Amino acid sequence: MLSPVLHRHCHLFLVTGRSEDSRGLGSFQDMARSISMEAAGLTLAFLILTFLTTSAASSTNQIQILNAERRIDLSSHIVKVFLTLKVENVMTAPASEIVLAFPPAQADHLALVKAQAAIGKKKKKSYVHLDVNPTELPDAPNGTKYFSISLLNPLSSGETATLEVLYILTHSLKPFPAEISQSESQLVYFRDSALILSPYHVKQQTTFLKTPSTKVESFTRVEPTKFAGRELKYGPYEDRPPYSFSPVTVHLENNSPFAVVEELLREVEISHWGNIQITEHYKLVHAGARHKGVFSRVEYQSRPSFSGTSSFKHLLASLPPRVHSVYYRDDIGNISSSHLRSDYRKSELEIEPRYPLFGGWKATFVIGYGLPLEDFLFESPDGKRYLNFSFGCPLAETVVDKLTIKVVLPEGSKDPSAAAPFPVEQRLETKYSYLDVVGRTVMVLEKKNVVPEHITPFQVYYTFKPIFMLAEPLMLASVFFLFFVACLAYLHNDLSIRK
Amino acid sequence: MGSKAAAITSPVPVTWYPTLAIFMLAIGLIVSASFFIYEATSSRRNRSLAKELTTGAVASFFLGFGSLFMLLASGVYV
Repeated sequence: MLSPVLHRHCHLFLVTGRSEDSRGLGSFQDMARSISMEAAGLTLAFLILTFLTTSAASSTNQIQILNAERRIDLSSHIVKVFLTLKVENVMTAPASEIVLAFPPAQADHLALVKAQAAIGKKKKKSYVHLDVNPTELPDAPNGTKYFSISLLNPLSSGETATLEVLYILTHSLKPFPAEISQSESQLVYFRDSALILSPYHVKQQTTFLKTPSTKVESFTRVEPTKFAGRELKYGPYEDRPPYSFSPVTVHLENNSPFAVVEELLREVEISHWGNIQITEHYKLVHAGARHKGVFSRVEYQSRPSFSGTSSFKHLLASLPPRVHSVYYRDDIGNISSSHLRSDYRKSELEIEPRYPLFGGWKATFVIGYGLPLEDFLFESPDGKRYLNFSFGCPLAETVVDKLTIKVVLPEGSKDPSAAAPFPVEQRLETKYSYLDVVGRTVMVLEKKNVVPEHITPFQVYYTFKPIFMLAEPLMLASVFFLFFVACLAYLHNDLSIRK
Repeated sequence: MGSKAAAITSPVPVTWYPTLAIFMLAIGLIVSASFFIYEATSSRRNRSLAKELTTGAVASFFLGFGSLFMLLASGVYV
């Protein structure tokens, strides 16, 4: 795109050059003509170049980050990064979006990117949610992935704004050593950059890493670096050009439970007779350092603080209030080691699998429960019914690699549609259940890489004529009536051989 | 969401399900008993098809609804 401009510029220079040669002949008219042509050429080139720079919407020269502070929380296996950016618009044109850059390896493990803008000062501070969408820039070095934050009001020239970004990374703590025995502690690698990767010039930046314990085996030093207690500080770094990257590796101890659900299938069956039945199929795995050697139950039970420090045996599931008929079973049968505590706001189901989970060990189980219909099914103003249910996994602090939610709508439902606050894959299926003739429509929603921050309500809309509810009892009544008619037919017909 | 949306409940209160099940099944069984007694006691010439069909229809109606409420009361939300 730049080359035709350059060609035209060179052509203009060539034209003016020829006139300059003729200047030596001393003609005053020739001199005036050459100067005006040169000026015209230069202004034309300048206009074209300024047009190009302003037309590139998120040009890296337009925004400058005055101060960037990044806090990385490594306390659990889900890495939460809080980024506070103070941006300034240094060009004349207003800026309507800010672009965040991520290295390609990190972008694959990104579960969530949220941004909000701080409005007001000190006591009257309030936060406004901003939209974040993945975007692409034409000249991305080394496969950098981008997300663009849309500002509420475009940033005018010289104006500054403060943005707070939260992004969550999963599977970013790599256990090293990859295999540990029962009595060893779990150590993991965390790889990132001391300098915040950004397409803009960063004037000042600092990165803080919060570790779960004071034990850090090693960390890369990029001066100035300071490690005290549970905090590792990289920075402050001054005046770094765009796309500056300084890889660091931190080798730390992390014994928090690395509970990962490989596959979660949640089936929500709606019955207009007053109940919503939920069945959840879990494939749970411990995604930390793999367990090697023998498992000694004696050692595990006699010295709990020394043995199995990285393992976990309890899981907490947060269920809605007024839940009934909760069951917890697997392929073998019912698992009785569970406790249900409920109050008027929430119910907590604490489950204990049949064995504690060490690195690489898996557990497959089913949790099912029923909920009252009036808590979740509503009627919208345009006559459609909708289910308002929460997306995500009820288990606390777990990452779900693949989450599938199947909403089974009652027989006779038409026009199903789903609305979720983040992108999900949708499709429709049919399921044959109790007293079904044509089958029930199933709305299937799928999402990969789900974290607890995804536990937000979603809606499934459908139309249903209440008269269809009569189909079920009338079907049963007609079966009984057919029985009576058969009795009549038998009694009225004379089947005797001899009269 | 602006105003509170109307919650949809079942057409029959859920707490009535066991009571309704028992009463409707009882009535249905009584009517079907009356049907079979009529069949057993009447002779071939005195039988009235209309009476048999109506008794059968009433019995099947009550038995049908009674069995639906029995299914709902026992937790099979059809």
